[in-house]
Amino acid sequence: MKHPNQAETSAGDTHGTGLPFFRTWKSVYLFVLASFVLWVALLILLTKMFS
Amino acid sequence: MSTLDFVVLIGSMLGIAGYGIWRTRGRRDLNAYLKGGHTPWFAIGLSVMATQASAITFLSTPGQGFAGGLGFVQIYFGVPIALLIIAIYFLPIFRGLNVFTAYEYLGKRFDTKTRLLGTGLFLVQRGLGAGITIYAPAIVLTTVFGWPLNLTIISSGLLVIIYTVAGGNDAVTVTQKYQLGIIFAGMITAACLLLLKLPPGLTLKDTLTLAGGFHKLNAVNFSTDVHERYTIWSGIFGGTFLMLSYFGTDQSQVQRYLSGESLRESRLGLMFNAVCKIPMQFCILMLGVLIFVFYQFEPAPLFFNPASSQLLANRSNSQKLQVYEAGFNLSQVEMQQQLGNWLNARHAGNRVLADHAFRAAALANRQGEEIRQTATEELKAKNPGTTVNDADYVFITFILQQLPHGVIGLLVAAFFAATFSSKAAELNALSSSTTIDFYRHLVRRDATDAACVLASKWFTALWGFVAIGVALCAHLAENLIQAVNILGSIFYGVMLGLFVVAFFIRWVGGTAVFWAAVAAQTLIFVLYAKLTISYVWYPLIGCAACVILSCLLQMILADTNAPDKVRSL
Repeated sequence: MKHPNQAETSAGDTHGTGLPFFRTWKSVYLFVLASFVLWVALLILLTKMFS
Repeated sequence: MSTLDFVVLIGSMLGIAGYGIWRTRGRRDLNAYLKGGHTPWFAIGLSVMATQASAITFLSTPGQGFAGGLGFVQIYFGVPIALLIIAIYFLPIFRGLNVFTAYEYLGKRFDTKTRLLGTGLFLVQRGLGAGITIYAPAIVLTTVFGWPLNLTIISSGLLVIIYTVAGGNDAVTVTQKYQLGIIFAGMITAACLLLLKLPPGLTLKDTLTLAGGFHKLNAVNFSTDVHERYTIWSGIFGGTFLMLSYFGTDQSQVQRYLSGESLRESRLGLMFNAVCKIPMQFCILMLGVLIFVFYQFEPAPLFFNPASSQLLANRSNSQKLQVYEAGFNLSQVEMQQQLGNWLNARHAGNRVLADHAFRAAALANRQGEEIRQTATEELKAKNPGTTVNDADYVFITFILQQLPHGVIGLLVAAFFAATFSSKAAELNALSSSTTIDFYRHLVRRDATDAACVLASKWFTALWGFVAIGVALCAHLAENLIQAVNILGSIFYGVMLGLFVVAFFIRWVGGTAVFWAAVAAQTLIFVLYAKLTISYVWYPLIGCAACVILSCLLQMILADTNAPDKVRSL
């Protein structure tokens, strides 16, 4: 028998995200990570260019 | 402030509070009162954002940008990483167990004493934090406007108590949406008007070059010196632990995302913040940098905090103040002249002349800063114990001196909206935790839902009055936003350690983790008193100490109950 938290975890992971361009949670997480890396890279660029 | 400003301020604040009470009338069952209804992900995202962004964020952060540049943004590098960990690991467990508070989970996983320890740590730090949340904007606004401080603290505190008591969690979420709308409207208007006020002919590249030349665009610092407060390493490692502790174990945030209709809504609400937080903080800091650029072409006061000038004039003599002001103004005039030459030479393509003029402007700026520093030191020497938080007054001074009436009212409304939104979430969380973890767990185990709702309303009011009391007695050191972060950092690491052990180290039991947490918290107090390392590292150290000591103690104690308990979860 599944524990309640396991049940919701798997349901949350297997059900779609309901978002138009990000159908799986993995793609959502990758998008978040990519946007984070992009922001840090842009800030490093800003620091290098104007200091 | 004019009549128009007061109409905008009072109308928007009372309107939002009234709407919150009306929309949430009749919430009587415990689930609806403490967890809220079926909140969609976008509302959760805004609610999480509004809870973290208090008035201090909007008043003090531009001042940080003005004084120290963009470096402060690094502390938020931990947000996306922390929110990803919470969305993947923490959230499903909290939702799966259907808990009201994060500390309820500690009770299920370990035992009552560990649950109460987690609750106690939260109540102490958040109870004090709620006082700072309300005090910080009040001290700045009352100093500038001349309003009575105590009356401002009490009246704004009472309004939050009224609508939070009336509508519970839903009232917090409903009002936060509109409060955030006012905040963004105010900040965007201020940014647009500031851009229009920059000297004609100053292009975006000129602006960035000027700011960079004065070291205001050093957003990322690769230094490995642990005494430096904001570096990429303290942001990514220390910041991740700080944010993981705040978003993952602080009930004021946990309650926000647990109000989601489903796991999907809660997760997307967190991911929304993971994407938006760094750009949002960058924009607020950049506003401060632009105010810095603006004051390179316009006369700036010696002290932005009017109380500092007054104090110096009273304790020294007005002639001394005039000498400082005259010297400061002279350096300002010289700097503005040299920056004019720099701009002309730059646009004419004469690089040598431009470099020469910029160096002269930087020298004049440095002379002005030295005069400001000398005056500050004299002020401190003549008034022992006085703190000169000038950076906190930069943005409000700019607003008052440069923006039109109506917009001033909108921005002051934005500061109060930010105070209300975070204060309401804090009171709601403090009340939930007191009701669920103390009242229903220890005092009245047979309490009905109706009794718990009634108790929760009383606890909301009680914590509201505690926060007002703390605010009335508060005397803060350093910059206000740092004071909040430092307070959180002292407690958050150990709280996170409790949850890390609970989630990931299944063989450790309640007794071991309890005493490990007590020892780790003592260690953090000692570190805070004795060492000068950046506060950003405290959550990491506290968490690591709690986890390591838990494992060691468990090995010594060999708690045979732990594996069974874990299996039952």
